[in-house]
Amino acid sequence: MKLLIVEDEPGLRESIEKYFTEEGSICETSNTLESALQKIAIYEYDCIILDIGLPDGEGFAILDYLKLHNKQDCVLIISARNSLDDKIKGLNIGADDYITKPFHLAELKARLLAIFRRKAFGSTNVLNYKEISIDLLGRNVSIDEKNIVLTRKEYEMLLYFIANKGKVISKNAIAEHLWGDEMDMLDSFDFIYTHIKNLRKKLSDISGKDYFASVYGVGYKFV
Amino acid sequence: MKLAAHYNKASIIISVTVLFISGLIYYFVINRIAREQLDSNLSEEIGEVVDYVNQNQRLPKSVDFDEDLTTFAKTNLAKFDTKYFDTPYQNPREKKVEAGRAVSTLIKCKGENFIVTIVVSREDTEYLIQIIFIITLSLTTVLLTVLIITNRYILNGLWRPFYYILNQVKSFNVSDNKKMDIIEAKADEFRELGEAVSTMSSRVTSDYHGLKTFTENASHEIMTPLAVITSKLDTLIQDETLGPDQFAQITDIYSATNKLSRLNQSLLLLVKIDNNLLHETEKLNVKTIIREKIQQFNELIQNKNIELDYMLDDVDIIANRYLTDVLINNLFSNAIRHNKLHGQIKITLAGNKLLFQNSGDPSPLREATIFTRFHKGRSSDGTGLGLAIMKNICNQRNFDLKYEYLNDLHSFEITF
Repeated sequence: MKLLIVEDEPGLRESIEKYFTEEGSICETSNTLESALQKIAIYEYDCIILDIGLPDGEGFAILDYLKLHNKQDCVLIISARNSLDDKIKGLNIGADDYITKPFHLAELKARLLAIFRRKAFGSTNVLNYKEISIDLLGRNVSIDEKNIVLTRKEYEMLLYFIANKGKVISKNAIAEHLWGDEMDMLDSFDFIYTHIKNLRKKLSDISGKDYFASVYGVGYKFV
Repeated sequence: MKLAAHYNKASIIISVTVLFISGLIYYFVINRIAREQLDSNLSEEIGEVVDYVNQNQRLPKSVDFDEDLTTFAKTNLAKFDTKYFDTPYQNPREKKVEAGRAVSTLIKCKGENFIVTIVVSREDTEYLIQIIFIITLSLTTVLLTVLIITNRYILNGLWRPFYYILNQVKSFNVSDNKKMDIIEAKADEFRELGEAVSTMSSRVTSDYHGLKTFTENASHEIMTPLAVITSKLDTLIQDETLGPDQFAQITDIYSATNKLSRLNQSLLLLVKIDNNLLHETEKLNVKTIIREKIQQFNELIQNKNIELDYMLDDVDIIANRYLTDVLINNLFSNAIRHNKLHGQIKITLAGNKLLFQNSGDPSPLREATIFTRFHKGRSSDGTGLGLAIMKNICNQRNFDLKYEYLNDLHSFEITF
């Protein structure tokens, strides 16, 4: 996957680049609107991660450019402004998704892959990871053609882990992905443990493999 | 009471009083003048009678004095002061009694004393006074009518710019970009008022937008470093060389960062509610929302083995979708977070009331302070803004939010 990261904050830009590059994707970065516009004029990208507040203008200009030149790049907006107007404006002029700062890299990746899959393969696609096969349209999970019945949360969690395979995902990130705003109330992460335990068992009952590795209480890794 | 009505009342009372008093004075003065006129006529006539008696040494016949009744009465009195007095007047031609004025004096004729009395009719004078009275009364009526009409129409016209300005001020919303119109008022005062209000409103609006921009920028500035921290932590935990101690510390940093970002978001939400930025409303079915939330919170409720009872009627409200969502979210969060293991939650939605009851800490919360910002319970791990946000959302829509401790249950009741 070829990726363009348009972000003026160096710390954030580098983290995103590092997180996505290790996986094998090609990442390019831009810290200004002007250089980003130059890049999208010359190269084709699968996905663009776009910060709205750039030092030389608003990221919306990139969306306008893409629309004008009929380019199909996926665009995921990241913004510090949790303002509904910006969200609606961004999605109206061609962005595929919108994420508000601060976010977890795992969340960013899961969202990006979701929009990429949607655009690249249309609506009928099957996601394969090792022997796990997920029918994204029918929300069906099977291992070696044997169906596994998962709850909605377990299904979401599995997709999330596969998107971030090989990465340590913090409990905070998992909780935020599954519960979003209600996160506010979670005093302990015990319930995440319960969910992971259930999912782990359902998967290993059929495949005989343990896909989850716990990392010193900070989070989990899907391998 | 309107200013015009106050003014009308005062001016009418004053006019009526002044007119009434002046009418009285007028009446007495005219009466007095008329009487003096009559008396001077009478004294002329009595002079003529005395002259006649002195010349002719006999009493005149009464016909000699037209219209006036002259009577002579013999008397033994040697001394009698001339006096004027009111007396009935027998009109000889119309045969009726009228009000009259008389004069009596003593005359001597051939050594005998007579009291001569002349009576004249006061009819003409009375008639004159009546005419004057009627004219005065009609003038008064006309004057009052004109005064009332003038007050009503001219004053209303004069005050129209004022009410126009007042309506604009009433409908003024600082988050609108609408500017106030300056109106063409004839009166300088209203023109100045209109200009002042318009200047003030545009200054307030621009200050407000400045503040809004400031808040947005501040949030931007805080959110970006938070995003850097979070992403660096996400990167840091990928490092396989770290040990358990480092991971324990990272976990703490995670939760502190998480708390900070929640706090910032809550504060921003409060600012938005306070500034009425989320004012778009629509018709919402509370029952549907609560059902969705029950689904959403189901696992968390089960996680604590909480028993959930609910009784929901169809209730529609007009409110902002996002804020209603936050409100019900917070009700659920509180009921779950401050609950105990194997506790219970009761939700009742009926009429225009929504009641959330939950078990928990077996002592009532302090009603006076629970809705203030950053007030937290003893064991609360939240931001301390949840209830303040709920209160502000309720205030914005004029919903009533009450807390009570009933039958060992913490109860939050919202009256829509």
